[in-house]
Amino acid sequence: MALTISCPNCGKRNGYEFRYGGEDKGPRPAEEGLTPQSWCDYVHMNNCVAGIQKEWWCHKNGCGAWFTIFRNTLTNLEVEEPEAKL
Amino acid sequence: MFGRFKPLWGKKPQLKSSYDAVIIGGGLHGLATAYFLAKEHGMNNIAILEKRYIGFGGAGRNTAIVRANQRTQENVPLYKEALDLWPILTKELDYNLMFNNCGNLNLMHSEAAMNTARMNVCTAQFHGIKSHLLDAKQLKELEPAINISPDITYPIHGAMFHPPGGVVRHDAVVWGLAKGAARYGVHIHQQTEATAIHTKNGKITGVDTNRGRIHTPRVLVSAGGYSAGMINKMLGIRLPISVLTIQAMVTQPLKPVLNHVVSSGMYHAYANQTLKGEIATGAHMDPWPNYTTLTTAHYIKHQAEALSDFLPFLRGVKFMRTWAGLADMTPDMAPIIDGNDPIDGFYMNCGWGYFGFKSCTATGRYLAKFMAGGQCPDMLKPFTLRRYEKHRLMGETAALVSYSADN
Repeated sequence: MALTISCPNCGKRNGYEFRYGGEDKGPRPAEEGLTPQSWCDYVHMNNCVAGIQKEWWCHKNGCGAWFTIFRNTLTNLEVEEPEAKL
Repeated sequence: MFGRFKPLWGKKPQLKSSYDAVIIGGGLHGLATAYFLAKEHGMNNIAILEKRYIGFGGAGRNTAIVRANQRTQENVPLYKEALDLWPILTKELDYNLMFNNCGNLNLMHSEAAMNTARMNVCTAQFHGIKSHLLDAKQLKELEPAINISPDITYPIHGAMFHPPGGVVRHDAVVWGLAKGAARYGVHIHQQTEATAIHTKNGKITGVDTNRGRIHTPRVLVSAGGYSAGMINKMLGIRLPISVLTIQAMVTQPLKPVLNHVVSSGMYHAYANQTLKGEIATGAHMDPWPNYTTLTTAHYIKHQAEALSDFLPFLRGVKFMRTWAGLADMTPDMAPIIDGNDPIDGFYMNCGWGYFGFKSCTATGRYLAKFMAGGQCPDMLKPFTLRRYEKHRLMGETAALVSYSADN
């Protein structure tokens, strides 16, 4: 399905110009106290959400920027940042 | 002709409040596991929970290709057993699975690719599986439809030929296994969605469904592409899986012209002629994870370009239908089959990517042994989830860690 992605520099562009960079997993874990399990969790494990997720993209056929967006994996549509749950 | 619909798997059973094992997902892996649990281990107090109808997911959407010419020593024996099981199951289930062992041709487009194929051939031959290399001329003699001209985008250097592979009618496998399982007393509950899995003191205690609670000491999640999201949501276990939509299509029917399953990694395309004469052909996966199962003009165009290059007789032939399913990809292209870790009585069978169809019967058989005895059979041990934290990924594909269109 057609996907458009909003690049922070170039605006809304065709999704095929971009490279998917994985689910947003927060900052890289600190070296100190790192276990094989926690490293594996950061490197390999995904939430596989059927719904809205925060994810990384790179505008590889454009400006080259890395950025995050929110996208609904059930519809393939970019969405606004969902409001934080109170 | 207009008689009442009587499913092969009998009347709709009553949902009981307790079962010895509950299998979430009425696809091929779930049905095969239930069938072998009941047939070979005498466990017939089993429920299969299927949210929609059996064969709704990957079971009815794959392109029906079966083969055992994968890369690694751990994977190939499992696929070999699966391949050997088709004729046996056809008799055992008394149901024609329409196994057509026409052989697989994997096209190679460079000398480097031929070298890689040489390693695959060695793995296959080591396990007693027929597989050998062909140069371009031999390939052309075997399959005259292929274009070996050097003037195409990716000229063909040769091929890996795997004669025992071929095509099995996927719907027939669903119906045959459902019939077989029901004959041994397995309850197949369609339109029944599992909504929660309950645990107590590290043990499975039950499953909630939209039709009520079931008490059970064993749960298997084998829900194809939906497994990873479900296991994370219900049990908080994260898996190294990316779920991608993968597309396929068929052309209008033609006279018999293509005698083998032909595939090309370089063109990201594979094709075979069905018994009806259509060319069934598949494309690569969407370059970003999604659960849409929608088809795109992008891939129809890609497919037309690829096929008219290496199978030029298809130029001008029309696509008749197109559809898509889900592939749950792991970083090493090998499945995750595990049980009793970290929860006693919890089993999972997922991460098959686009290999779920060809492996379903043998996996179901070993998994049934696992679930009946609680001990993981040697055949399934390499597929443990713990291999990722030990960084012992399998080498099915070199350097595939984060799935993207680039690799």
